[in-house]
Amino acid sequence: MGDSGFQTDPGEPSNMNGAKRILKLCPLLVPYAALFCGGVFLTVSQSFGLLTPIPYGGGHLEAYAGLLSSPSFYASFLFSLQVGAVSALCAVIAGTLLAYWVWRLPARLQTAALIYKIPLILPHIAVAFVVLLLWSRSGILASMAHSMGWIETMREFPNVLYSGWGLGMIMAYCLKGIPFAMLLVMALLVRFDARQIETAEMLGASRTRIFFRIVLPRVAPAVHTAFIILFLYSFGAFDIPFVLSESRPGMLSIHVYNMYFKRDLADRPEAMAILVIMFCFAVLFIVAYSMAVRRLESAERKI
Amino acid sequence: MRAPLLLLLMFLVFVVPVVLLALSSLAPGWRFPNVWPEAFSLRALVYLLQHRGQILISLGSSFLFSLLTVLTTLGMCLLPASVFAGREFPGKTLLEGLLLAPALVPPMTFAMGLHFLLIKCSLADTLIGVVLVLAMFSYPYMFRALVAGFQTMGVDYRACAQNLGAEPVRILLTVELPLLLPAIIAGGSVVFLVAFSEYFLVFLIGGGAVPSFTGRLIPLLSSSDRSLASILTLIFLFLPIALFVILDTTLVRVYRKKGMM
Amino acid sequence: MPRKQWFAMLLCTVAVLALSGSIQAEQHRPLEEPFEEIEKQAEGSKVHWYMYGGWAHVNTWVDTYVAREMKVRYNIDLTRVPMDAGIFVNKLLNEKAAGKQTGTIDLLWINGENFKNAREAGLLLGPFASHLPHVQQYVDPGSVAHDFGYPVEGYEAPFGKAQFVFEYDTAEVDSPPQTVAALKAWIKAHPGRFTYPQPPDFTGSAFIRQLFYAVTGGHEQYLQGYDPDLFARQAPKLWAWLNEVEPWLWQKGQTYPKDSATLDTLFARGEVAFGMSYHPPHAQNKILEGTYPDTVRTFVLEDGSMYNIHFTAIPFNAPNKAGAMVLSNFLLSVDAQLAKYDPAVWGDFPALDPQRLSPRDRKRFQAVDLGPATLRSDELVPVGVPEIPARYLEALERGWEEHVLR
Repeated sequence: MGDSGFQTDPGEPSNMNGAKRILKLCPLLVPYAALFCGGVFLTVSQSFGLLTPIPYGGGHLEAYAGLLSSPSFYASFLFSLQVGAVSALCAVIAGTLLAYWVWRLPARLQTAALIYKIPLILPHIAVAFVVLLLWSRSGILASMAHSMGWIETMREFPNVLYSGWGLGMIMAYCLKGIPFAMLLVMALLVRFDARQIETAEMLGASRTRIFFRIVLPRVAPAVHTAFIILFLYSFGAFDIPFVLSESRPGMLSIHVYNMYFKRDLADRPEAMAILVIMFCFAVLFIVAYSMAVRRLESAERKI
Repeated sequence: MRAPLLLLLMFLVFVVPVVLLALSSLAPGWRFPNVWPEAFSLRALVYLLQHRGQILISLGSSFLFSLLTVLTTLGMCLLPASVFAGREFPGKTLLEGLLLAPALVPPMTFAMGLHFLLIKCSLADTLIGVVLVLAMFSYPYMFRALVAGFQTMGVDYRACAQNLGAEPVRILLTVELPLLLPAIIAGGSVVFLVAFSEYFLVFLIGGGAVPSFTGRLIPLLSSSDRSLASILTLIFLFLPIALFVILDTTLVRVYRKKGMM
Repeated sequence: MPRKQWFAMLLCTVAVLALSGSIQAEQHRPLEEPFEEIEKQAEGSKVHWYMYGGWAHVNTWVDTYVAREMKVRYNIDLTRVPMDAGIFVNKLLNEKAAGKQTGTIDLLWINGENFKNAREAGLLLGPFASHLPHVQQYVDPGSVAHDFGYPVEGYEAPFGKAQFVFEYDTAEVDSPPQTVAALKAWIKAHPGRFTYPQPPDFTGSAFIRQLFYAVTGGHEQYLQGYDPDLFARQAPKLWAWLNEVEPWLWQKGQTYPKDSATLDTLFARGEVAFGMSYHPPHAQNKILEGTYPDTVRTFVLEDGSMYNIHFTAIPFNAPNKAGAMVLSNFLLSVDAQLAKYDPAVWGDFPALDPQRLSPRDRKRFQAVDLGPATLRSDELVPVGVPEIPARYLEALERGWEEHVLR
């Protein structure tokens, strides 16, 4: 992140003063402050019952008290965490492995491997639809199982989409997440010198050892970045759960949607309170994960 | 892993869904237990042609706001990226972390709070409002690409032009922008895709007054008319591919010839 | 410099013209003018109609027939915008709270509790219905005086009529249950083959209202208006019924289809045995579309089948009030109601009073073939029961979420 800076700039004064720097940063800082910070501020204040569209009669912490004492909120929160974590983990693992294998392919086959970018182009709702086509009990895989004689009726096909574990959503997030992880990892792999691997092979190292000892540490930054991005995305996104969601427990984003659009305006602070909790969780997660990774890396170096 | 096995696996996971979409779009009555559709019909295509006006309008609108988002993020990030690609200054890492946050936190968290303010400012239900909010959560991709681009470009070109007496604006437009084009294209592609595929934010801020292709697709996904949904999804797939092919054949070739890529 | 001055003058002229244009617009008061004036004002303008977008056949009818006729007859450009009723009411609430006097919605497709909420928040323009010539000509005022028990008072104009029916595939089920009690027995005998859309979906909510009438002894007790004690006494019987059958429902009641379109898909693909719809010709429509097999038929329960009327209304901040009134009026014309009645198109029952039609028009309606999958009115009318007052509806939806979902 911005560590290989420019060399000394001959045309500039030796210390680009703060004022000029801030001026150059304005095109980004002004919208950031107004829209992003402003938006977050409004969400937070509405969760306390201030600045709401219609005057709010309840106490300031009433929305939070209501949420934190509601078991269905915790159930949704844990469910969103679970869906996010499982899908991000699977996507990152599969993506890293696939990226490595594709990178090892001979050059002419690598163009064929570009098909991995297809899910990147599809919108999330379309990927959810594809999962629906394939895995619903009346879907294509069920038909295949029937034609192979594994099942007789529709109901014998395992209940993948509505099992209560969020499998449908996890698969859709994976289908989008694997190419994304592959993209990030490949970006680091192309800078990698293949000769190092060949040397290790000549010295008799096994393929697993090469992967874990040489390749993985080098692509670790991409793996960590991909995991953070994919986890937080699956945790809080709306599009895929909108198509594939299960009634109970639902994803947090769907709860917020229902509260914002389908209930009274008087319920607004509760919807905003959920959003504030999601936001705080996201920030805490980023900070905690980055610190954990940094500590692991410095521990490794000491060894 | 053996090459053929790997390619087969990737084909199954990444390409077969598209094939299924194509089949499903031509077979409205495809039910269990048929592995292969019983009857094909062009009904979905007929619907497409019947409604081509509306579909083209929503496609065009999606295209327009995605493109405007790319341009807006470019305008937002160009100067700041040059600052971040340069020297260290106090608080640089922290600021960079803060500036990348909108891509990580769920967009709902700031968009819903913002919505009421946008209504008051009459920016809700407008194209500008939608572009602003989309730019707000997709600019980090353009930002990262531009920072990398500035770092690759180095400072020598600017120094050279300055020594020849050019003004800073002229340097930016005629020297730096063309050199940054690969980075702009890389960041811009991601921003375009993100904006084009977005459903919720466009629906929230646009309020139905800003048509979008995703908005047209969503009600059909839970309906029993799967062939229609399939054909619209396929359009979704082919449009960005067409765009990238065009980009590749025109701009990128020109740049490769000039030796700048 | 001359160029700068000229530019400034140009800006001023443009500003003055724009302001005068908007001042002129405010002088129109569509509710006080004769309808010919309104039609003239609306000519050449654009109308945005926000309506539920989950029914593709309705969308097609609006986009093709209605849009074309509006253009040909009145030179009005119609744009249909898909949006759920609860969502656009919420949008109007936000706009009213923000003080936005000019919105984006001209006409709404609305009824029931959404209408009540919109009226109570002062979101609708009116009363306008009695200004429409077709309302004066063809509509029986008594039949449209109440919407889910709430007084209409001319704030919405009728659009169509609907009655709640069930659907089944004769190839799969020999004889469907005739009463609610028989339905419960059937569900228990066939686990995993029945479900209903999750309230507050329109159809799912209607289903639990139907059951409410049936398990609590009829509808008359509720028609006087909302009585919280009555509700508190009667609602537990409904929750008990629903909770009792839950383990035998599709997915063991762990999840419900999120809307009626999803249930249609499950039924069409054979994953569940019964469909349900608020439109009697819905099954025939789907058969003609090719999504239902042609062995599907419709049935009603003897305990009663709810009917209601759905309406169009105009928001307080509609940018084109005149155009909205012209559209609302056109939708009540004999031609439009006839076009909509055809099951190949939609099959929605007309909101016109047959007694007020000319004999020739009456014959045209009788000549429409509703198809074998649709029940005739002599089968529907005897079991018809009126809709419940809206406040019960909301209480039922909230109660369902609390007592059945959790």
